[in-house]
Amino acid sequence: MNAFATGLTLLTRRSARARGLVRQSATLICVAIASHASFAAAAAPALRFDRDIRPILSENCFACHGPGKQEAGLRLDSAADATRELDSGSRAIVPGDFGASELAARLEATDADVVMPPPHTNKILKPEEKDLLKRWIAAGAHYEKHWAFQPIVKPEAPAVTDPAATSPIDRFLESRLAMEGMAVNAEADRPTLIRRVTFALTGLPPTTAEVDAFLADNTPDAYERLVDSLLTSPQHGEEMARHWLDVARYADTHGLHLDNERQMWAYRDWVVKAFNDNLPFDRFTIEQLAGDLLPAATRDQKVATGFSRCNVTTSEGGSINDELLFRYAVDRTATVTNAWMGLTGQCAVCHDHKFDPISAREFYSLYAFFNSAADPGFDGNKLLTAPTLKLPSGEQESRLAALDARLPELKATLDEVVGGLAYVDPVTLDPKPEPVRAETVWLDDEFPPAAAVRSGPGGPLDWFTSTVPGEVLSGHRSLERTATGIGQDFYESGAEPIVIPAKSEIFANVWLDPAAPPKALMLQFHTGGWKHRAVWGDPAVIGWGQLGTESLVAMGPLPEAGKWGRLSVTADKLGLADGAKVTGFALTQFDGHVRWDLVGLSTIDDPTANPTKSLSAWWQERTGKDKLDDVPKPLQAIVRQGQEKTTKPNEIDLVQRHWLTKVWSEQPDRLVLAARALDDAQKERDQVDAAIVQTFVFNDLPAMRDSFVMLRGAYDKPGEKVERSTPAFLPSLPIVEGIPLTRLDLAKWLVSPEHPLTARVTANRLWQQFFGLGLVKTSDDFGSQGEPPSHPELLDWLAAEYRESGWNTRALVKRIVTSRAFRRSGVVEPAHLAQDPENRLLARGPRIRLDAEQIRDQSLALSGLLVVAMGGKGVKPYQPDNIWEPVGFAGSDTRNYKRDSGTALYRRSLYTFLKRTAPPPFMVNFDAPNREQFCARRERSNTPLQALQLMNDTQHIEAARALAARMLAEAAGDDASRIEWLVRTVLARRPEPEEAAVVMETLATHRVRYAADAESAKKLIAHGETKPPESADPGELAAWTLVANMLLNLDETLTRN
Amino acid sequence: MDPILEHKLLATRRHLLGSMAGGIGAMAMRDLLAAGAAPVSDPMAARLPPLPAKAKRMIVIHLTGSPPHLDLYDHKPELVKHDGEDCPAETIAGKKFAFTSGTPKLLGSPRKWVRCGASGMELSDAIPNLHRVADKLCLVKSMFTDQFNHAPAELMVYTGSPRAGRPSLGSWATYGLGSENENLPGFVVLISSGVQPNGGTSSFGSGFLPSVYQGVQCRSKGDPVLYVSDPPGMDRAMRRKSLDALKDLNELQARELGNPETVTRIAQYELAYRMQASVPDVMDISKEPQAVLDAYGAKPGQSSLANNCLLARRLVEEGVRFVHLFDWGWDFHGTGPKEDIRDGLTTKAATFDKPAAALIEDLEQRGLLADTLILCTGEFGRTPFREGRTAKGDVLGRDHYPDCYSVWMAGGGVKPGYVHGASDDLGFKVAHDMVHIHDLQATLLHLLGFDHTKLTYRFQGRDFRLTDVHGHVVKEILA
Repeated sequence: MNAFATGLTLLTRRSARARGLVRQSATLICVAIASHASFAAAAAPALRFDRDIRPILSENCFACHGPGKQEAGLRLDSAADATRELDSGSRAIVPGDFGASELAARLEATDADVVMPPPHTNKILKPEEKDLLKRWIAAGAHYEKHWAFQPIVKPEAPAVTDPAATSPIDRFLESRLAMEGMAVNAEADRPTLIRRVTFALTGLPPTTAEVDAFLADNTPDAYERLVDSLLTSPQHGEEMARHWLDVARYADTHGLHLDNERQMWAYRDWVVKAFNDNLPFDRFTIEQLAGDLLPAATRDQKVATGFSRCNVTTSEGGSINDELLFRYAVDRTATVTNAWMGLTGQCAVCHDHKFDPISAREFYSLYAFFNSAADPGFDGNKLLTAPTLKLPSGEQESRLAALDARLPELKATLDEVVGGLAYVDPVTLDPKPEPVRAETVWLDDEFPPAAAVRSGPGGPLDWFTSTVPGEVLSGHRSLERTATGIGQDFYESGAEPIVIPAKSEIFANVWLDPAAPPKALMLQFHTGGWKHRAVWGDPAVIGWGQLGTESLVAMGPLPEAGKWGRLSVTADKLGLADGAKVTGFALTQFDGHVRWDLVGLSTIDDPTANPTKSLSAWWQERTGKDKLDDVPKPLQAIVRQGQEKTTKPNEIDLVQRHWLTKVWSEQPDRLVLAARALDDAQKERDQVDAAIVQTFVFNDLPAMRDSFVMLRGAYDKPGEKVERSTPAFLPSLPIVEGIPLTRLDLAKWLVSPEHPLTARVTANRLWQQFFGLGLVKTSDDFGSQGEPPSHPELLDWLAAEYRESGWNTRALVKRIVTSRAFRRSGVVEPAHLAQDPENRLLARGPRIRLDAEQIRDQSLALSGLLVVAMGGKGVKPYQPDNIWEPVGFAGSDTRNYKRDSGTALYRRSLYTFLKRTAPPPFMVNFDAPNREQFCARRERSNTPLQALQLMNDTQHIEAARALAARMLAEAAGDDASRIEWLVRTVLARRPEPEEAAVVMETLATHRVRYAADAESAKKLIAHGETKPPESADPGELAAWTLVANMLLNLDETLTRN
Repeated sequence: MDPILEHKLLATRRHLLGSMAGGIGAMAMRDLLAAGAAPVSDPMAARLPPLPAKAKRMIVIHLTGSPPHLDLYDHKPELVKHDGEDCPAETIAGKKFAFTSGTPKLLGSPRKWVRCGASGMELSDAIPNLHRVADKLCLVKSMFTDQFNHAPAELMVYTGSPRAGRPSLGSWATYGLGSENENLPGFVVLISSGVQPNGGTSSFGSGFLPSVYQGVQCRSKGDPVLYVSDPPGMDRAMRRKSLDALKDLNELQARELGNPETVTRIAQYELAYRMQASVPDVMDISKEPQAVLDAYGAKPGQSSLANNCLLARRLVEEGVRFVHLFDWGWDFHGTGPKEDIRDGLTTKAATFDKPAAALIEDLEQRGLLADTLILCTGEFGRTPFREGRTAKGDVLGRDHYPDCYSVWMAGGGVKPGYVHGASDDLGFKVAHDMVHIHDLQATLLHLLGFDHTKLTYRFQGRDFRLTDVHGHVVKEILA
């Protein structure tokens, strides 16, 4: 059937959404249709080595007769080698004479030992392939350099008959379609078009208002202006970044073993900003690969080097440092080789590449650029594995500057105060001062700081507050408890342990209600366990401890009721020896109504032995001790050696100054104030500094590591030493004797005008982003094993145009999405499907399933839940339990998934926290890579697990409910209007009557069901953190929620049509 | 049919299936829709392997952390004799161990050993239930690997590479064979005893294969398969109604645009609907007779290896192609009493050997053992000496050891009651018949009907395979 006839039979049914075929001019249709199995080759008469011959040789021969291996001395990838006389005396190829070529005999042989390729390789040449080889040899066996390695020459776009095909892109595509005899689809209808291009450029659906505006805009450049506005929206940078982050293998954890969090989201945000700023791709390249080496590198340029820190790292005990360093350098090299040059460098890690002219030596010469990385083999399981860069905000910067200016002033003030002090160590007094009794209070209005206070049995903690003099003994409140049986308040952890000095007495004050006195009162002390008790009143009634031991000491009768009385017991009596550490105490009563106040320790204070009064005593305590945690690091050695051995005046001065300002308990007020002011300022500086975000950056070690060819890719088998250089088959990077090349040289080389790969690879990846498939389908392999481009001239034109435009990514994207090809209807005609199932020739518009992030973001956007805030730390949206936990190590800081709440649940998916060993299910289910390695191309699978997620995930049910609620609020009140509103919102088009009928019928069923079952309705609309509007009838909202859920699951909804 | 030709055909078909257009080729969409035909591009459709297969399905029991094989499977009287002596210099010269340095002391197994069954296979008293089925086991005592840290070693066992990102064994198997039950995932993963696997989801990931081949983790808590439950407030009838409408609307779309992907999507939603019923059903072991539950030591509602072994049988019985069990807690360093190779091992092994033996017997009774291959392994072995950090304590433990260890298989095509290979007297090296991880993988694929050098997938310009560029089938263990 010819294309014209096809077009006639397939004029679309729906007048409202007219789609159809544009007829090519009749003369074109009359061109004979040459159906090709492969679209690599246009139906051109002349054979070309690159397009027609090399793929055959590469697939079938090069593995044994190519760059890596030359069995029988034969190498078929170069003319000289393939045509020379072999040791056997024969010549594989005799140009112009197929019959005389050994190749001919081998291809046709039937003997298993003779035939090529040999049977064990499992490779069989097709008759048409043999025929091509025959024709090629007969025509002179002309070799060409592999297409991708040839210089990029900008071809002239061919003339086409349709004057409307003005863009070179369309002229290349349509001349080829004409040659194939394929008619092209008409432009897609406007609703489809705006939805397609909005998703393509921003990753989000258009709003109904945007659709309306576009439909109403009849100016000829309406579409172009739409594109311009999308290209300058902040969401454009986010969508572009998403694709690059797959290439960069960005994630939020280290990737192996504990798989702890790492902080480098500033790099992710840099990528977004780079696209929003339309950073030219050459600078985009240079800053990521060598931003640190640029003269006067800016903060952003350093952040960009995070690209080379995105690789997976580990800190698993027992790993070998050298192996890790080797592995990281290989990963970084292979990533650059693949991302910029589309070459599979990994092959050359172990051996010379079998198919492409990249030797192991050349791979390791590239590796040498990355082999001096400053980051360690072991990541330390740290959030910030050095080298990192601090990224203070403007506010933080100015606060730090202010504090830095203030600190010296405060220090000077303190110095002045200290200098003016006349401290005399009591040890030096004669006569020495007498010891005096002193009290330390543990409880007065509050328990000791940070004590984990618990109560019971007998009810919660209660305070009695009073301003009547005498009712409260001290401060403004007393602890109060009325108990039946045992009642108590206590703590046994949290607070600093209380050290009991010698000759101490512990006291507590109590007021007993004369109307309800207790039977007993007890003080208990915790020293790792409750081992020390003193009891007043009936010693047996509480029942704890063994009377006559320190676990229960009977202290006699209760104090008099109706007034404050003091309970006291010597520490000795309770077995609390000098230096004992009390980790908690309990105030216990049996029955009655009791108030407690002013609990503490009374001790004999000898100023000459008190470390807070005597510097000597303090120093003596610390002399010779290993652990001196309460002494600043620089002073520890001096303090440790003791006061006597410290003779240098400045050292004495330093210690004394520390003691006076930090320890001395008898500081005059002016010292307290000056010391506190300095302390506070220093603490604030530390806090501000600690709060500054940091990010992984790439640096080199001060001294370069030597690099070697690692034999068979083994980290511990260095072979020949190599210097930094680039592969010989590519344009040379001149080496100046004695000055090693840098990463900056490498980066500049990649984007140099002579480089044949970078522009082709990058333009192709962009093409793939918008059309679903690259012109080179194997967008990650431009070598001879990759597929040749479907449209070589178009690819070269795009590459040349990209470079000539100053690597203007946005301009190239605009060219692509304004092409007629991008705008065509996606209707699939059977003839097209038969001739071009993959749509490589683009007679129809691109129709591809949305990516993982787009699907989730769409639900959020349509429901009005989306929070468009940009940047920052990764967020943790809804995720079922037990995604992280089963793979998380006990010691990992990403063991337990702690879902965020509030706006974090509704951010764009780009900002979802990515844990490599357990990525979010919505990403995995929809083919997002787990970012363990470079990925230039996602699969697009179609699985039941996807269906389950979209039907049942909380995120999607909540979105459906929010969408339904939006509809109830915004649409007119009748069902038909509401259905129309929903379909328009979700699909950017109006429903067909047939569709509306299906929806209506479903709605009716759900409505009946929920009308009879309000409980179920309430359950359904309760999903998620946001609440349904209170005004909505639950049954009605639930029925519409299910309708919205169904519409969000439509194939059309999940597809960029 | 000529196996090479058949493989070619398979590869061609796979190529088509993997293509953007879903492999529908030139088939007429409207006819398909009219006939209500099954999806034409179901990548999980059951298919025959290119070579005659002994095993149609496979169960892996992975003892995460790596069990002390010298206290379970490999009796070394010489090691017992020299217990407590310094390791001979030549056994440790130039080697690195994860947690041991200097000269460690040899550690003879304190276990008792029993010759079992007609084959006389020697097994320790830690696994008394496996004694009963010794004549069905094929024990390989000459395994070795390249990796001595958990994560890379585990990835090595299941993806052939120590780095994350390659397809796992189960993914390769389902990629090659599809699945026989279209209402259940083809590759199911069950995890017990808490955390792990070490390699994260990469240990059962599909790598660069389409994600349809990734292991689907069935869970003991929450939904047995993610999102398989309808949301509270929606019942099955409402789901059916919604799906009917969805189907009607999608069919309108398919007729309108003629894209084969739409037809596939309709089929996937229908499959999802069936899975919603069949997954909870197959995962519900409370329907098993009490005698069966007792045989495994399984208790409904718990998360245990016993439950998972029973589930493995239920799943393979239903036609699931590959079931992968991970049981954490086998890292017997000796850092605590639970990691002691005496009582600690007795306790841990009891949770494993009873259900493992029951699984073998149960499969056999149901006539499934002959074509169901079971593999039981850790990621490596454990040292013949005491682990360095814990050597001064009371607890006896062993360090990670890659150079020589034991694994066992049963069922589908392996020699029953057979011991392959041996370690040297002290257990440091393989004495004969070395089996590398890649050899084991080549053998497993062979049993499933594949030449391991030909089951490939092209990614980043290279044909990748499970065995990388290595591996030889261990012919001696084939039945």
